[in-house]
Parts: sequence; structure tokens; C-alpha cells
Amino acid sequence: MKLKKEQLKRQLYRDRYLYLLFLPVLTFFIIWHYIPIWGARIAFQDVKYVGKNVWVGFKHFKVLFSSPVFFRVFMNTIAISAMKIFLCFPLPIILAFLLNEVRSHNYRKIVQSIIYLPHFLSWVVIAGIFISLLQAPDGVINQIIGFFGVKPISFMTSTKHIRWVFVWSEVWRSIGWDSILYIAAINNIALELYDAATVDGASRWQQAFKITLPSILPTIITVFILNLGFFMNAGFDQVFNMMNDAVINHVDIIDTYVYRIGLGKGNYSLGTAAGLFKGVIGLFLILSTDKLSRKVTGEGVW
Amino acid sequence: MKKLVSILSLCVLVAVGLFAGGAQEQKVENGVPVIRVVCKDVPPDEPDNIAYIKKVQEGFSAYVGQEVKLEYVKMPDGAYAEKLNLMILSGDIPDLIYFQGGDEAIAQQNLLVDMTPYIAGSEVMQKALMDFNKQRMANYPYLLWLAPPRARTATIREDWFKEAGGKVPVTIDDYYNLMKAIKQNHPQAAAVTDTGNTDRMDFTFDQAFGITATWLKEGSSYVYKGVSSAQKDKLTFYQKLYAEGLLDREYITTAWDGMEDKFYTGKVGMVFGTAGIVLDIYNNKLMESQGVGVVALPPAKGVSQGYAVSSAKETRGWAISALSENKDLVFKLLEYLATDEGQFLDRYGLEGKHYIKEGDKVILTPESANWWPRFHEIMSYQGPTPLLGEAGQKSWDYIMKYAVGDPDFPIPEELVPTWDALSNLQKEYTYKIISGEYSINKFDEFVQKWYDLGGDKVTEYANKILK
Repeated sequence: MKLKKEQLKRQLYRDRYLYLLFLPVLTFFIIWHYIPIWGARIAFQDVKYVGKNVWVGFKHFKVLFSSPVFFRVFMNTIAISAMKIFLCFPLPIILAFLLNEVRSHNYRKIVQSIIYLPHFLSWVVIAGIFISLLQAPDGVINQIIGFFGVKPISFMTSTKHIRWVFVWSEVWRSIGWDSILYIAAINNIALELYDAATVDGASRWQQAFKITLPSILPTIITVFILNLGFFMNAGFDQVFNMMNDAVINHVDIIDTYVYRIGLGKGNYSLGTAAGLFKGVIGLFLILSTDKLSRKVTGEGVW
Repeated sequence: MKKLVSILSLCVLVAVGLFAGGAQEQKVENGVPVIRVVCKDVPPDEPDNIAYIKKVQEGFSAYVGQEVKLEYVKMPDGAYAEKLNLMILSGDIPDLIYFQGGDEAIAQQNLLVDMTPYIAGSEVMQKALMDFNKQRMANYPYLLWLAPPRARTATIREDWFKEAGGKVPVTIDDYYNLMKAIKQNHPQAAAVTDTGNTDRMDFTFDQAFGITATWLKEGSSYVYKGVSSAQKDKLTFYQKLYAEGLLDREYITTAWDGMEDKFYTGKVGMVFGTAGIVLDIYNNKLMESQGVGVVALPPAKGVSQGYAVSSAKETRGWAISALSENKDLVFKLLEYLATDEGQFLDRYGLEGKHYIKEGDKVILTPESANWWPRFHEIMSYQGPTPLLGEAGQKSWDYIMKYAVGDPDFPIPEELVPTWDALSNLQKEYTYKIISGEYSINKFDEFVQKWYDLGGDKVTEYANKILK
């Protein structure tokens, strides 16, 4: 026991500058992510502006679940999140694979810089761009499909298309940025493995599927499990900026609902109840996927 | 492990200490009472605001015969209503608070002063309040807002109006013919647009179709306007406008800035703007971009004619903290700014910058376009120089002539989620009917769904309240 303590002390001293660098991150997480957990108790209280809050148990959860639209809002959240994970998760991996195959260093750098760019745009700007591109009948997309004889489609007001607009605008925004992790993981694969495979006569496809993919599988699994933790975050900023009256019942998610009913009316308890509900589902998804992943692949998050 | 828990607990305590709000404390400096004021878009460190606050302070001290200090709270950037609520939740409650939403929860906890007795005893306020203000105060006596009702007036660009004959439309048919003429003369443009819904247009057309209030009397009971037969007639009309390209096909995804841009660039001939200074802004901007002005138009005449102005409550306004130790003084401040002297101070801005005096004359400078009243905008106030241009004044005249009270009421807390669901249902059906995706016959299906979703409960509540 004493030996372990000594070891720990020695390690801490050795890496003291790294820990010092880590300190702001730790402080950030304590203040913004751990202390607010204590504040989540107001989901079970009636908030008093002056004086002590009143404990009301599950009252706000009952209000939330008895709302005539909560189930629909919940299902919208799940549908939009599932669609996003379906596309937004694998596409950065494919992109990283493709970029890895580009031989020209300069060309790869230029492509990477261009595809990272949308990540830094706010959803207000992106919504403006997509609304303008997808307008019917004058938007660029409708002009292009019109060239092929397709009738104009009002993408932004069509309940059939709007969720796909969300998904593809999310892909456009995040595909480059999300691929960074996979590119880094690919760059860490020992080059000797590829050399040996080349000597053995393996094709580029075989190298990609027999060396690259298995090597970055732990990264893929970790990112997937962590993404599931954010499953209930279907993207407030995006939905808020892109939704309109025509599609509101198909894209209204928990976050926009809480914003309208909770924050908009100063009803913090209801908002916190919804946030807590989302958090519990996210935690459940992380833990269960981690367990499943350990069973199937032997890899987990921690 | 124990150490880790101790360290984490210490961090929690330190952070709680850092973020905890201070207790409410009445400030008095050298025997001079201090009124703390919180208001949107009035940062107390901007030179104009510093000079303005000083002027109000001096004028108010003279008005009440004692020295009083005004202390404005500097609000962080971002959504004002949210920041204000969080500030109050932290325990920091100024004496005088400007609300733009989020006040109900605070009023329900008896933290805002019922201003009824104060207003009853104030001649200045009695003179300043319009009928609809009085009705709103009777329903919800915590917010005071002395300004014209935020009704939207139809506004057309002058050259296109003259091209179309230049006759002020009166009936729904007149409006329809005017829109047709605009479209004929400018086929590339839409006659009219709105911002994401038809709320602005409704001000002009609702009463003409018989939508005279939020809750309409049909037989012996009240029916919500959105599910009334009058609404069906109005949607039939809007559907026709949309089908003929008179109503902008993109109105549903058009925000207010997009609407203005379309107006200034000749993509649309008619928009609906808040009566008063907003119409003057439209006029000035159109003059800059196209070299023409605007003409304000009255509400359409049909079953009735007018702008229905909700009596439920003020949606924004001034409230006095129930915890303030200077409530009387705080109300006096609101009263002072409603007097002619206070209105001059509040409406004309700073001498030398927003206006200059030449003898008895007050001449507005170009900078006056950047000044806006921080407190009240009383319609009956007659200043030394007109503050509004022709279009702005005309729209106010229409408001004075046509605004009628709508005996609406606030939706109670327990029905808010239901009301939200009903509103969303209405929004979806309304657009789909207007755009032609649904035939007008679907309106009956919507009405049934509306009642099934909880509309029956709200209607029952409305009938209890309105009887």
C-alpha cells in the first residue's frame, strides 16, 4: 500500500507540468459539469425566487409526461437522433479512410482545411444557407433538380424531407471535424504492417479492411459509445433555427419543447426535469452499450 | 478516497460561495434613496445613457421634492428575459424591473406589486392609460406599459400603390384587387409577405372576416377564434392569395429581416409593420434604396373593421418589486416619466445630440433616428415637434381609430402544455391549407383534432372565465 502511494507521488511529481496543464480542464468540468448535478434537485422542487424551494417529488415529471405532445416530442427526438447517428457516425470514418488514401500531402491538407471549415459556422448562418439553397422553386437545389425534369420540392416545409435536411446539414457541418480523431488513429498505425502486407501482395482494399479498420476499431467503438451518451441531444440550435410552422409537429424535440415551455416561461423545474430525464436515458445508453461492447468485442470506454 | 471526497466537497463549497446571490438589501447613499432599475438595452456605461439617467434623476428629484439616485443594473449580453429571470432567481431583485416575458412565475409568488391602487390615485396615469391598457391592468395588475398597441399596419410602397390606382382599399375585395394589380404590374414580385405565419396579415383581415376577438361568441358559448367558421373563411381567402402568387410562396421561411429585405429590393409590394416609428423606418430605408416612400393602409372592412387588441395582459412592461422599500417612490418615477416633462425627456433624447433648440422651436437632428423612449410612449402626448413622419403618424391614427379591446385572458399554468400542443396543431394545418397541400375541407378535421387534443378543456375554462 505504502509502495503504491510512493509510486503515485513519484508519478505525480514527474508529470507535474502535465497535471498543471490539465488543471483548467478539471476546474471547468467541476464547475460546469459536476456542480450543476447538485442543481438538478430543482426537478423535484417548486422554485421559490425568495426563500426555500418546496419539495414536490415527481410533480414536474408528471406534468412533463402528461403533456399531450410529450410522447411525440420524445419520438421526434429519438427519430432525428437515430437518423443522425446512422449517417453522421460512419461518414467521418469513411472520409478518414479516403483521405488516408490520398497520396498528395498538399492536396490532402487543402481538402482537410475546407471540410473542417463548416464546423466553425453557427447554426444561424448554416440555417440561412440551407433555407436559401433549398427554397422552392428558386433555390439552387431546386434549379438543379429542375434541370433533370424534377418538379420543385419545398424541402423546408415538407414533412417528408425536413428531417433529412437536418441530417445532411449536420453531416456537412461535422463530417470534417469528426474525421480528425480517425485520421489521428490511422496515422498511429505502424507503417511496418502495411509494408509487410504489401510484400505479401495485399491490395489497397485488403490493407484497408485487414489492417486499418481493425487498428482503429477501439477508437470507433469509444466514439460510438460516447455518441450514444448524447443520443437525446438532437441538436437544439439546429432545430430551433431551421424549423417552421409547417413542420413543427415533426421536428419539435425535447430541447425546443423545454425551451418554449420551461425557460420561456421561467419554469426552471420543468426544464430541469426534462434535462434530467434526458441525462438518465443518456447514462443508461452509455452503460448498456459499454457492457454490450465489452461482451462482443472485448473493448469498452474505460 | 476520503481525500478525494473532501477535495470535491471543498470545490463545491467554494463554487457555491462564488455563485450564490447576495441577500436583498435596500441601498441608501448618504441619506439619498437609491432606486435600482433593470432594463433591456440600456447599459449604464454608455455615454448617451449616462447623460439620460442623469437628466431623469435631476428631473425626478425636482418632481418629488427630494434627492433620489437612479442606479441601472448592467445586464449581460444575450436573451434578456432569461438573464433577468436568472438574476432574480439568484436573489438580486431591483426596485424597478422591465419585463419582456417570464414575469408570470414571479408575480405568482407575490414578488411584484399590484399597481391598481397606485394607478387609481394618479391623475397622470389615468390620463396616459388607454382603454386596452386599463383592461390589461384589470386582468394582470403587475405590468405597466404605456405605449401604443403593437398592432401591425398594412404598408405599401408608394409608387406601386399609385400604379395600382392609388385608392385606399376598404373592403377585402379592394385589398384583393390591389394585390392583383401589384402582381400584374410586377409579375416577378409577390404582392404581400409575412414572417413565418400570418400573424401580421391577420391584423388587417381578422375583423373583416368576423374574427373580432380571441374568443368568439357563437350562440350561448365562446369558441376559440382559430377553430371558428370565420377562421375557415379567412383561410379560404389566404389560400386563394397563395395559389395566385399574391402571397409570397416563401413567407413560411421568411424572418422579419428577410421580409424587410424583400420590401426594400422590390420582391414584394406590401408588408405589415408595427404602427408608429417602424413605418417611418420602412419609409426611410425604402427612400434610400428605391427613392420612394410608403403609404399606411387601414384594416379591411367586412363583418367588422378594426385591430383586435388583447386585454389578457401586457406582454412587456414595468413592474415594481414587492421587496422594494421605496415602492411609492418607484411608482412616482413611472408617473414622472408619463408627465409632459418626463415624456419630453424620454421621447426627444439629449439636447445637442438628438435635438437642438432654436428659441422655442425644437429641431430634430439626424441622430434622433437612433433614439428611442426608454420608458413610455404615450399616444396622447403632444410634443413641440412631431416625432413621427407621415406614414408613422398615419398608422398611429389608424390605431387610435380602429383599435378595439379583445377580452382575452392569460392561459393558466396547468393548461400551458395543452395550449402549446394546440397552437402547434393549428400552425401546421394553417400552413398546409394556405399552401394548398390540404383542401379547405380539411379544416373540419383540424377542428375535431383540436378539441380531441385538449381544446375542449381550454374552451371549458374560457367559458367559465368569460361568463
